[in-house]
Amino acid sequence: MVKDQDKAMPSNRPIWSGSITIGLVNVPVKLYTMIRDQAFSFRLLHNEDGQPLKYERVCTRDDKVIDWKDTVKGYEIRKNEFIVFKKEELDAIRPESDQKIRLDKFVSLLSIDPIYFEKSYLLIPDRSIDAYSLFMTVIKQMGKAGMGKLTLRTKEYPVVIYEYRGALVLTTLRYANEVIDPMDMEDLKELKRPAKKELELAEKIILDLTGEFDITEYTDGYRMKMEKLIEKKMKGEVVVAEVPKKEEVRELMVALQETIKQLSK
Amino acid sequence: MTLMHELTKVSFTNLDKVLYPGLDMKKSQVIEYYIRIAPMMLPFLKDRAIVMNRYPDGIQGEGFYEKDSPSGTPSWVETFKRYSETAQRDINYIICNDLDTLIWMANLAALEINITVSTRESFDTPDLVLFDIDPEPPLNFDDVMDVALLLKEKLDELNFRSFVKTSGKKGLHVVLPVVGSYNFRQTREFVHQFGKFLSRESDLIVSEFSESRDPGTVFIDYLQNNRGKTMIAPYSLRAQAGAPVSTPLEWKELKKGLRPQEFNISTVLKRKTSPWEGLLESRQKLEVQ
Repeated sequence: MVKDQDKAMPSNRPIWSGSITIGLVNVPVKLYTMIRDQAFSFRLLHNEDGQPLKYERVCTRDDKVIDWKDTVKGYEIRKNEFIVFKKEELDAIRPESDQKIRLDKFVSLLSIDPIYFEKSYLLIPDRSIDAYSLFMTVIKQMGKAGMGKLTLRTKEYPVVIYEYRGALVLTTLRYANEVIDPMDMEDLKELKRPAKKELELAEKIILDLTGEFDITEYTDGYRMKMEKLIEKKMKGEVVVAEVPKKEEVRELMVALQETIKQLSK
Repeated sequence: MTLMHELTKVSFTNLDKVLYPGLDMKKSQVIEYYIRIAPMMLPFLKDRAIVMNRYPDGIQGEGFYEKDSPSGTPSWVETFKRYSETAQRDINYIICNDLDTLIWMANLAALEINITVSTRESFDTPDLVLFDIDPEPPLNFDDVMDVALLLKEKLDELNFRSFVKTSGKKGLHVVLPVVGSYNFRQTREFVHQFGKFLSRESDLIVSEFSESRDPGTVFIDYLQNNRGKTMIAPYSLRAQAGAPVSTPLEWKELKKGLRPQEFNISTVLKRKTSPWEGLLESRQKLEVQ
């Protein structure tokens, strides 16, 4: 279904609950998804009868369908060479889903490099309004963010917790070794310092174009067209594929028409 | 308005991609060339195994040969399976008998389209005998033309009808259509013996592979007359600056000063002649009369 409004709406179910721990102080919280991906997704159907298709695990040797219970996990060490793991072996080293986010350090919020930000979640007080409010207010006033660790399902993330628009927000971070150092790119090692004159001119251009950050200035044109198309289809209108009327496509069509005529002689 | 999909089964992709940077020639123009040349070119592709030489990143990028029909080949593209001795496995060759397949290849940035010198029904008995005439510097195209004309003269004396085209690079291809009753060993030997004979007539000409890199010589390459080997198709583009075309010529066009670069993506469509007309109907016996 296409929603009328474009706003991302909060979900009613938390994805995690536990507490933020700072020393001896506990703030019980629930974690909610904050990012709603607005991309469209399609189901794959059988062209002939419109039935949805399902994926199956098929053996690469004899093309037989394999049941989940008959599968094990293998780590590929060389092409087609695997080390096999039992479920118990993997469970033994899996991080425990902890009910606590321990904050062991506070840093200046602005000092965090945004390149490490991965995904943001909303923290909501869990029968802890007073403690929540106190913690939020103090880190806002001091411009601080708390650093800690969170285990979600089976993965452990570095996280940062800070105040955002009257709420506590938790953002998972990338590990240092997940981010590529630009200086490892050969092409960037040859950058030269621009001449003073060029720099002044470039500065003027930037100043002319300077404004306030406002993300609402950007909208997803493809999504809007998609919504219109779906609405039309739901009303039963026949949608005719429109060919982009670019000059080169027109030229190709002219050529095609002429050649087809010649070939049918 | 007519829709594109009513005219062709091919959905075009990346039309803006520049394939010949020097000419600022985009993929759309390459496709247009192949569409317009199709009536001239298709008869020579018919029923022959095709090997594509693709340049998805343009002629300055890395090109690659594709003998096998690539994954994602649409079901309407005809293919046929043959064992390849060089690859030591079955190859699914593409057959290009219609306009759509030609356009499909052009859309894959197959700038160079190569064909076998035999057809699929008689893969092991060639219907074309190829003299591939290639100069080594400092010799130039004038010398190549001299050698080709000498070859023609000798072939004429024996009542063979021969056809000539530019390779699109530095050389010329002379082709003799033959009836399908010879094997590759025979056609190869025929060209080889002819090369030996001509090398005695002119100091420029060499007939052996070992001499083919000698400076100041013209090599009459007989080795292309082999099973599964291909030659650049008549009217195929070449992946070279200036977008030259392997162009069939009238014998009388071979005059001092002619340069193969004159035949390119912009000029070939304007030519009024079709010098290879009748080639496929002139299959002859290789016997000396």
